[in-house]
Amino acid sequence: MSLAGVRVLLVEDEAIIAMTAEDMLDELGCTTVATSSNLADAMAATEASDFDIALLDINLNGLDSLPVADRLREAGLPFVFTTGYGAAGRSHAHAEAPLIAKPYQLHDLEKAIREALGR
Amino acid sequence: MGAMIRARDWSGTEFGPIADWPQSLRSALSIALRSPGGAAIFWGPDHRFLYNDSWAALLGQRHPWALGRRADEVLVDIWPGLEKQFQHAFGDGEAVNMVDTLLERNLGGVRFASWWSYSLLPIAGEDGRIGGVLGQARETTDSVLRRQRDALMVRLGDRLRLLDEPGDMLAAALDLLAAEMGVARLGYGEIDEEGRTIDILACACSGSGGLDDISGRYSVEMAGNDFHAVLGRGETIRIDDVAADSIMSADGLAERYRGLGIVAALVVPVISAERYRAMLFAHESHPRRWQDGEQALLRAATDQLWREMSRARAQRALTHSEERYRRIFEQANDVILTADLDQVITDVNPAAASLIEAARESIVGRSMHEFLTPHSSDQARQMLRQKLDHGGTTHHELRLRSSSGRLMTWEINSTLTLDDRGEPVGLHAIARDVTERRVAEERQRLLVNELNHRVKNTLAVVQGLALQSFADGRDPAESRTAFQQRLAALAAAHDLLTRESWEGATLSELIREAVGHLNAQEERLTIEGPDATLGPKAAVSLVMALHELATNAAKYGALSRTGGKVEIHWRIDAERLRFEWRERDGPPVARPERRGFGLRMIERALAADLGGTVAIDFAPAGFACRIDARLTGSGGGLKE
Repeated sequence: MSLAGVRVLLVEDEAIIAMTAEDMLDELGCTTVATSSNLADAMAATEASDFDIALLDINLNGLDSLPVADRLREAGLPFVFTTGYGAAGRSHAHAEAPLIAKPYQLHDLEKAIREALGR
Repeated sequence: MGAMIRARDWSGTEFGPIADWPQSLRSALSIALRSPGGAAIFWGPDHRFLYNDSWAALLGQRHPWALGRRADEVLVDIWPGLEKQFQHAFGDGEAVNMVDTLLERNLGGVRFASWWSYSLLPIAGEDGRIGGVLGQARETTDSVLRRQRDALMVRLGDRLRLLDEPGDMLAAALDLLAAEMGVARLGYGEIDEEGRTIDILACACSGSGGLDDISGRYSVEMAGNDFHAVLGRGETIRIDDVAADSIMSADGLAERYRGLGIVAALVVPVISAERYRAMLFAHESHPRRWQDGEQALLRAATDQLWREMSRARAQRALTHSEERYRRIFEQANDVILTADLDQVITDVNPAAASLIEAARESIVGRSMHEFLTPHSSDQARQMLRQKLDHGGTTHHELRLRSSSGRLMTWEINSTLTLDDRGEPVGLHAIARDVTERRVAEERQRLLVNELNHRVKNTLAVVQGLALQSFADGRDPAESRTAFQQRLAALAAAHDLLTRESWEGATLSELIREAVGHLNAQEERLTIEGPDATLGPKAAVSLVMALHELATNAAKYGALSRTGGKVEIHWRIDAERLRFEWRERDGPPVARPERRGFGLRMIERALAADLGGTVAIDFAPAGFACRIDARLTGSGGGLKE
């Protein structure tokens, strides 16, 4: 099943990585509805934006993005963690969420999004 | 003896024919002959000597030569002491009674002391005058010596008890014994483990006969192998005269001894734990008939001396050992502590007291559990249980608090202390404070983790640069150049991040770093603005962004044509940085259909990392980029 039209909230503090992710999402047919580069913006975006899934960097300028994950789970919205820490950086509180390690490739991203969406 | 006396022809002697002997002599002789002990008659003015069987035994080889001879002939060696007593009995007619009296004997040059109990009873003749003396004698040397020995042993014990130095004990014992026995030299030597050498530790010398102190180490062979073989069996060597002794006959030993001035010797060994350990020797410069009592005395004294010295040495060794271990205990950098089986602390060393931040006295007597965290407390109980059940040493880490509440991690090796029967009575532990090491290890782990994160993030950035640089439809050579320049800019930005003094990286330095690859002439670039410094992340973004601006300018903008210029100005205005990149005198500017990576990155990165807004202006007169960023504040990447 295609991922066309899936709306994505991208949370990533590194501009170049965020742009790469946007291009990859674009290639998968997804729409990046908002990109947040810090914790405060990301928290605001979970309220303000209309999206189907979030791509969530675990570390945002040295801050843990766990509160965003908590908020998303409360809202019943799926999300995918991205991290440079590898599997060890995963939060135990959200062990069910797929995790992709940076740098990731297009098919890693696609697989994780499908898993999170249950498609 | 009666028969011998009757059989002799006395007619040519002072006694006259036996038939003419006065009744008083006959009666006295009859009494003497029937006496069970030594009894004799000294008759007439010359004190002529008649004796019974017991006395004959005392005379040894001088019987029967002595029969009928003068008292001063027969008792020649002791006559000087007896003459007065005989005069007393004969002249004054009074009985003489002596008990345990010392008589210095000298028979054929062999001198010895002997003790006697004897009596001289005057015998009146028919004319009423004293005709002779009935003498009765009993040698008491053995009992006298036994009493002396007992008394001496008591004195020796008293002397040794007051001393604790083995050397002092030896000197005191030798002095006492030498004086008591009246020997020229008394010495003590110890045999080494292999039985090869003898170490003479001390001598007591009377100064007579030229026998001096011979302390020193000698080969056992010097005294002859037989000599030490005898001692090794625990037997005493008793030589009255080296010239006449069988053990001295071998290997010219007698000559060697005489050469050393030793004529008589009494040597007793110490056998301990089935090994020949030591010997005590008495040397004399003239022949001496050693008494059984002297031998017994020397043996008893030597045994006692050995026992006392061994005890003193063991005590000293123990004391030294305790001192040595006490020093280790006091000076160890590691914690050493002991506790009883209830885990109540019985001792701690200074290292432990220092870490616990309390005096030893205030720690001893307290339970280990007062210092341990609850989890470690349970663990310590389990470990004790394990040792009690299975023995051995436990090795584990415990968390505990010092008196001031400082939390520590100790690595502990703990073993049970056992009593003589192998029953556990307590435990001793050696511990090391590994708090700092554990903190450092944790910090190291976090650093490695963080480094991994940064590397992965940087690789993700490089991935982004590669994907953008090598996008479909680009000229491969151009892509390669662009990618390499972007990597170089990223590397330069990271250099800035790791600079030792970040405070020194001013805005103008960053700009020069970012446009450095252009190699543009000085007059084509204008860089002007007040000093300000940037936070690390903002600096990296700015360098990357300016790199893209400069690259665009060189490819499509003002720097792509002769005479074109770039002006970089900034000012600080009410806590805000207002930055402008403006190109002049370049080719006509046309708004691109689709924004390339460079411009997108500038907008995104600067907006995100500098916490401001970025305006891109494709004005026909020249491209411009304006940045408006907060200089301070939470989201601001700039700092003054």
